[in-house]
Amino acid sequence: MGWLDYTLRRLLMAVLVLVSVSLITFFIARVIPSDPAAAWVGPHPTQEQIAKARLELGLDRPLWEQYLRYVGALLRGDFGTSVRSHQPILSDLRTYLPATLELVIAAMLIAIAVGLPLGVLSGAMKGSLVDHLTRLVSIAGVSMPTFWLGLLLQLFFFGRLGILPIGARVSNEVALYFPIQQITGFHLVDSAITGNWFAFKIVLVHLILPSFTLATYSIGLAIRMTRSTMAEVLGETYILAARVAGVPERLVLFVLALKNAIIPTITVLGLAFVYSLTGAILVEVIFSWPGLGTYVTNAVLSIDFPVIVSVTLVVTIFYVFINLFLDLAQAALDPRVRLQ
Amino acid sequence: MFVYAHPTAFPDLDPARSFSNDSVITSNCYETLTFYNPPGSETLLNPKLAVSWESNPEATEWTFHLREDVTFQDGEPFNAEAVRYSINKTKEIGVGASYIWDPVEEIEVMDEYTIKFKLSYAAPLDLIASSGYQAWIYSPKAYEEHPTEWFNEGNCAGTGPYTIESYERGSRLVMARNENYWGGWKPGQFEKVVFEINQDPLVNQQKITAGAADFTYELPPDNIPNIRQNYPEIVIYENPSFQNLVGLLNTKKPPLDNVLVRQALSYSFPYEQFITAVLGERASQAYGVVPKGMWGHSDQLAQYSYDLDKAKQLLAEAGFADGGFELTMTYSAGDLDEQQLGEVWKAELEKLNIGLNVQGMAWEAQWDLAKSDPLKAQDIFVMYWWPDYVHPYSFLFSMFHCEESILFNLGYYCNPDYDKMIDDGFVLSGTDRQKAEEMFVQAQEILLEDAVSLFFYDVANIHYARSDIKGFKDNPAYPHVVFVYDLTRE
Repeated sequence: MGWLDYTLRRLLMAVLVLVSVSLITFFIARVIPSDPAAAWVGPHPTQEQIAKARLELGLDRPLWEQYLRYVGALLRGDFGTSVRSHQPILSDLRTYLPATLELVIAAMLIAIAVGLPLGVLSGAMKGSLVDHLTRLVSIAGVSMPTFWLGLLLQLFFFGRLGILPIGARVSNEVALYFPIQQITGFHLVDSAITGNWFAFKIVLVHLILPSFTLATYSIGLAIRMTRSTMAEVLGETYILAARVAGVPERLVLFVLALKNAIIPTITVLGLAFVYSLTGAILVEVIFSWPGLGTYVTNAVLSIDFPVIVSVTLVVTIFYVFINLFLDLAQAALDPRVRLQ
Repeated sequence: MFVYAHPTAFPDLDPARSFSNDSVITSNCYETLTFYNPPGSETLLNPKLAVSWESNPEATEWTFHLREDVTFQDGEPFNAEAVRYSINKTKEIGVGASYIWDPVEEIEVMDEYTIKFKLSYAAPLDLIASSGYQAWIYSPKAYEEHPTEWFNEGNCAGTGPYTIESYERGSRLVMARNENYWGGWKPGQFEKVVFEINQDPLVNQQKITAGAADFTYELPPDNIPNIRQNYPEIVIYENPSFQNLVGLLNTKKPPLDNVLVRQALSYSFPYEQFITAVLGERASQAYGVVPKGMWGHSDQLAQYSYDLDKAKQLLAEAGFADGGFELTMTYSAGDLDEQQLGEVWKAELEKLNIGLNVQGMAWEAQWDLAKSDPLKAQDIFVMYWWPDYVHPYSFLFSMFHCEESILFNLGYYCNPDYDKMIDDGFVLSGTDRQKAEEMFVQAQEILLEDAVSLFFYDVANIHYARSDIKGFKDNPAYPHVVFVYDLTRE
């Protein structure tokens, strides 16, 4: 099957997945005990206010009609309005999604930059002290609670040393005197585009602790996966042949072997990336990072179902496209893989 | 610059819709006609955008005389027409506490600075106009020209001393001085205010102890002694809030349909012991349903105390000498105080051979259950209550007035004599507040005698400020609001 055919078929399936997810989350949100009309009004609604809100929100309509109206709005790019804040969800997503993506991308880059080389070395020096230490690091990474690590890092780097900020995306100084013009919502990108290099530096500094905290699990994952596949690949005949032929060890490990060993690692990191879109909630709370995890958690706690459904759809879209990308990447990297 | 490390986000900054913690912002940006003074003040209300007011003897017509030479932050003039517009628009949108304006039938602009409200029934409009929700006066031009999203992008259209300079949702809101503020400016007053949103209380604690923030609240209660001992540069303000915790008893479902059983339950909870051991300075045992510090509160009201012998005696009189029944108590899942309360009470009721099934539920689920058939609902509904504007009627009506369709009277109590007393008291509260207060106290005596609820405790507000910040006065009518205009740094 060619690339185009494969991609088109996957995109078609993606539409089916999105419709199914929207149906399930929409109806679950309606079935669980809640009164969105009362939530819309506020904590102390009167019966009259609730009745008025029910009409305004179309909640008196049959469920299927409510669903179709919702889908129709979605197709026009309207994700609906938050029951809690009365604000367009799209507007909220424009704030929270880039913030999370910036954090998660930074975390993934750290995971790849740290985890892959350590995994390669560990796999190549299996049984050595380096291997043991690296495995210790990987176990610590996957088993250490992120909230605990985050608190420790804050206590040490902010509380004791005072060299890194405790949280937030930027400092008050930047917010007051070097405000970043909002273009993409990615502070690093926006400050670079506008030449606001002071803000760029501050944003980078603010990213250090939360992205490292978030990256620890993925670092552990990357080390484990890479070590395991490297150890297998390094036993292959072509590696022996390369070594015998005098290919530098650096090239043997990081080019010849890694190219075949990296695929499972990239797959799990890709899934970890999408998971982190909402799974980074603890890191977001600890580091006061206004991200998707915090947004949807607050929505779940207040049964703000338009937000819950919308965020579920957004994350599903990411899952679908990341998976498609990983499959295509796998096929590109490994000619033995057939797209079907 | 004044930095307020705030533990929650601001859901809605639209002055006609805002009904949450966003009041810490709106209270600095907008103003009301009257202002409710903190407990201990000489008068209940102060002038704000209205300099004086009066009503007819029946409290069905109220005339407010407005402050002159005031402009909104968009340059538009503040006048009677703006007041009429703001209140009518808030009523029309109809969310939050907008129902407080339900008595208003007509608003008449008498002249540029005089406005008359005609009510369909008597009401204390001066008190209503002081509410921290849905009583803001805003620029009609700004509200007509801009959608609600405009306010939530970080814009203000009030008469207050500060306006929003920038807003990064979920992260930070910056306010700057309104140089044209009618109150004028003196040296030492803050030029900028930064509200940092940090949902982790430990972050706020680290920020204030490190001097990176000037003010915060909702720090972990267990850390209070440590802060007090090790950080003399932090001042801890403890004051009553107007919030309390109640356990509404299902008066329709046996055995709690028996007043003797309800009274027995009221004697079975260790109020003082629980407050001392678990809450410390965060609470005090309630006297009736109107919280401490609020008008309508009386510390002359009877208090149930922890007395298991008395409880046994009452149970025996009710025909349950050996207990032998089980009750279900629901509370808001995630609230540790309520959870611990349930566990402590469960242990005490076991001594009376009464089982207590303590269930944590999401508020929506808990409320849904309670609004269903009372005979299938919970036996005890634990919840907080606080007033939308400072009036005892908010407590007495919402939780205990007869309801055909259940909303918040989640103990299903219905007593026509009680209803008449509080309804009459409400009418009187517009003209004879003292008499009204007496009626509200008498009404609470009825509630206590009928043991319709356990009145566990009044919640205290605990705020933390750097010691160089001067001028802060906690006002429970405006929860957690810092009126930055009143502050200076030493």
